[in-house]
Amino acid sequence: MNKKVFTDATQMSGNRGDADAIVVMSGVYKRFKDFEALKDINFQVGKQEVVVVIGPSGSGKSTLIRCINRLEEHDAGRITVDGTELTMDIRNIQEIRKETGMVFQNFNLFPHLTVLTNVAMGPRQVRNMPKAQAEELALELLTRVKIPEQADKFPSQLSGGQQQRVAIARALAMKPKVMLFDEPTSALDPEMINEVLDAIKQLASEGMTMVVVTHEMGFAREVADRVVFMADGEIVEVGTPTELFDQPQEERTKKFLSQIL
Amino acid sequence: MKLWIRRNLFRTWWDGVLTLAFGALAVWVLWTLVEFIFITGRWEIIEVNLKLLLVGQFPAESLWMVQGSLVAITFWLAAALGGKPRAPEDQVAWPRRIWDVIQRFGLIIGLGVLLVVLAGPTESAPLALAVVGAVAVGRVLNTTRHRVSWLARIPAIIWHLVLLIAPIALISLTLMQSELSLWGGFLINFYMAIIAIVLCFPLGVLLALGRKSTLPIVRLISTTYIELIGGAPLFVLLLLAGVALEFFIPSEVAPGSVFRAVTVFTLFTAAYLAEIVRGGLQSIPQGQLEAGKALGLSTVKITFLITLPQALRNVIPAQIGQFISLFKDTTLAGAALSIVELLKVSEAITKQDDFLGQGYIYEALAFVSLLFWVGSYVMSRESQRLEKRLGVGQR
Repeated sequence: MNKKVFTDATQMSGNRGDADAIVVMSGVYKRFKDFEALKDINFQVGKQEVVVVIGPSGSGKSTLIRCINRLEEHDAGRITVDGTELTMDIRNIQEIRKETGMVFQNFNLFPHLTVLTNVAMGPRQVRNMPKAQAEELALELLTRVKIPEQADKFPSQLSGGQQQRVAIARALAMKPKVMLFDEPTSALDPEMINEVLDAIKQLASEGMTMVVVTHEMGFAREVADRVVFMADGEIVEVGTPTELFDQPQEERTKKFLSQIL
Repeated sequence: MKLWIRRNLFRTWWDGVLTLAFGALAVWVLWTLVEFIFITGRWEIIEVNLKLLLVGQFPAESLWMVQGSLVAITFWLAAALGGKPRAPEDQVAWPRRIWDVIQRFGLIIGLGVLLVVLAGPTESAPLALAVVGAVAVGRVLNTTRHRVSWLARIPAIIWHLVLLIAPIALISLTLMQSELSLWGGFLINFYMAIIAIVLCFPLGVLLALGRKSTLPIVRLISTTYIELIGGAPLFVLLLLAGVALEFFIPSEVAPGSVFRAVTVFTLFTAAYLAEIVRGGLQSIPQGQLEAGKALGLSTVKITFLITLPQALRNVIPAQIGQFISLFKDTTLAGAALSIVELLKVSEAITKQDDFLGQGYIYEALAFVSLLFWVGSYVMSRESQRLEKRLGVGQR
C-alpha cells in the first residue's frame, strides 16, 4: 500500500476538510418503524480512500452505505456525494447514483442478459453510449476482473465468485467516483472469497475510492485506510486498521473483536 | 423388457390392479374413439358442409383472399419464427430432423391432410401446395438471410417488419374485400382470437404495471378495472355487449357484433392477463430493482429492461393458458351475440334437410372439438418450446 494519506489521528472523529471528500454524511438518522437503524452518523470518505465498515449484524452497516445511493432514504441529516446533496429530487438522486457503483451481497446480476450485456447496461442506458463502444468498455472491464472469456454466457452459468466479479465490472462500467461494497463475499463459498477480494484489492491499489462493508477482518487490515466500527446504529470507533484492531479504545469494539478473532 | 414391466407396471399387487384397471379403461376409450371415427361416424355432414364450417358464407369468388392470408401467415411463421440455422456442432441427421418436425407440426399437418381429403383433393390441392411452398420459401429465406453476409447485415428488426407487412397486407385485404356479416365458421373464431390476443397483451401488461404504480389514481383505476371485469362471467359480459349497448346507442350506428365480441374478449382477457403479469412481477427479487437503481437507471428503464422481461418470461405458461382459454371461449360468441362462428354453424348444419333429426350433432361437435383441440395443443406445445429457448428456470 503506497497511499495512506488520511490515516493521521485527526480523522478519528471523521471531520476532515470537505475539500476532497467524496462522501459526507452529517447527523444522519434512519429508522425502520420503531427500530432505529442509524443514529447521528457523521462520516466522511476522502478521495482515493478505502474505508472498511465492520460491526455485528444489525448494527446498521448495510443501511449506512445503502443511504449513500438512496436505496434507503434517510430521515434526518445531510448526505452529499461529490458535492451533490441527496434530496427528494429524483434528478439529484439519479446524478448521485451515476457516480456511485454498488456491489451487492447477492450479486443481483440481470439473469436474462448475458454477462457482456449486464456490464454494458449502465453505459448504454444511462450514459447513452453507442452499443459497440459500451460493449468494448464492458469487455475491457471483464478483462480487468479476469473473466473476459465468460462474456457471452449467462450469469447462472458462472460460479459465485465469477458472478461477483461481473457485478464489480458492471458497477465500474459507470466510471463511478466511489464504489460501495455491501458484504461482497458473504454469499460466497469459502474457496471463491479470495478471487473477489483480490479484485477489490486491485481496485484499491488503482486508487478507487471505496466503502466496504465486510466481515473479512484480514482484508480490512490489509486494504483499509480507515476502519469504522459500528454497533447499534452508531459509529462507535474510527481508526486506522492498526489502531482499531490492535488498540481498540471502546468497550463494544473490544468485545466485538474478541468474539470474532 | 420383462424387468421393466415388472418394475413399472406390477411392482405390488395393488399396482397390478391399477395397471389392469387403467389399461382396460384406456383400451375401451381408444376402441370407442376408433369405432366412432372409422365405423359409426357419418362424416358426410362435414364433407358437405366443410366450407360453411371453415369460412361460413364467405363469398366464393373472394375465397382466394382467405387462402392468400393463410399462405401469408404460414410463410411469415416459417420465416420469422424459424430461428437461426443451427451451429455445426448442433447439426442433427435428417431422420432426426424429420422426426422433430413431425413432433412439432404433425398435428397441424395431419389436420391439413384431413381437410384436403374432406374438401376433395382436386379442389384443395393448389392451396395445400401453396401452403407447403410458403413454408419452404420462408425457411429458405430465413436461412439465407443469416448465411449470406450482405443480407445478414440488415438488422433483424427490418426483416421482421418486412416479413410482417406481407401477412398484414393480405389479411387487411381479406377484411376489406368482404362484408363482415358474411364471415362465419372457424375463420371467425380464429380471427377473433388472434385479434383479441394481440390487443389484450399490451393492455394486460399496462394494467399490471398500473396496479403496481406509485400513483394512487392509476392504481385505483387499474385495480377497479381488473376486479370488475375479471369478476364478471365472460358470457354475461358478451350478453351485455349485445343487449345493453342497444339500449344506449341506436342500432344503426352501433358497432357490429363481431367488433363487440372482440372488444369483450380483449377487455376480459386483459384483466386476467394483468393478474398473471402482476404475479410475474412479484416473483422478481427486490435485488433486481436495487441493482437497476444503483446503476442510475430510471424507473421506466428498470421496468422495461429488467423486471418486465423477466416477469413475462416467468409466466409464459400461464399467459399461453389464458390465450388458449380465450381461443376456446370464442365459441361463446355464437350463443351470446348470434355470431355465426364454428359452434353455431355446426349446430345449424344438423338442421339441414338431409341431416335433420338423425343425431348428426355428434359428428358435427366432434369436428368442432378437433379443430379447437389441435389449435390449443399446438399453442401449448409451442409455449413449452419458447420457454426452453428462453431458458426459463435455467437462468
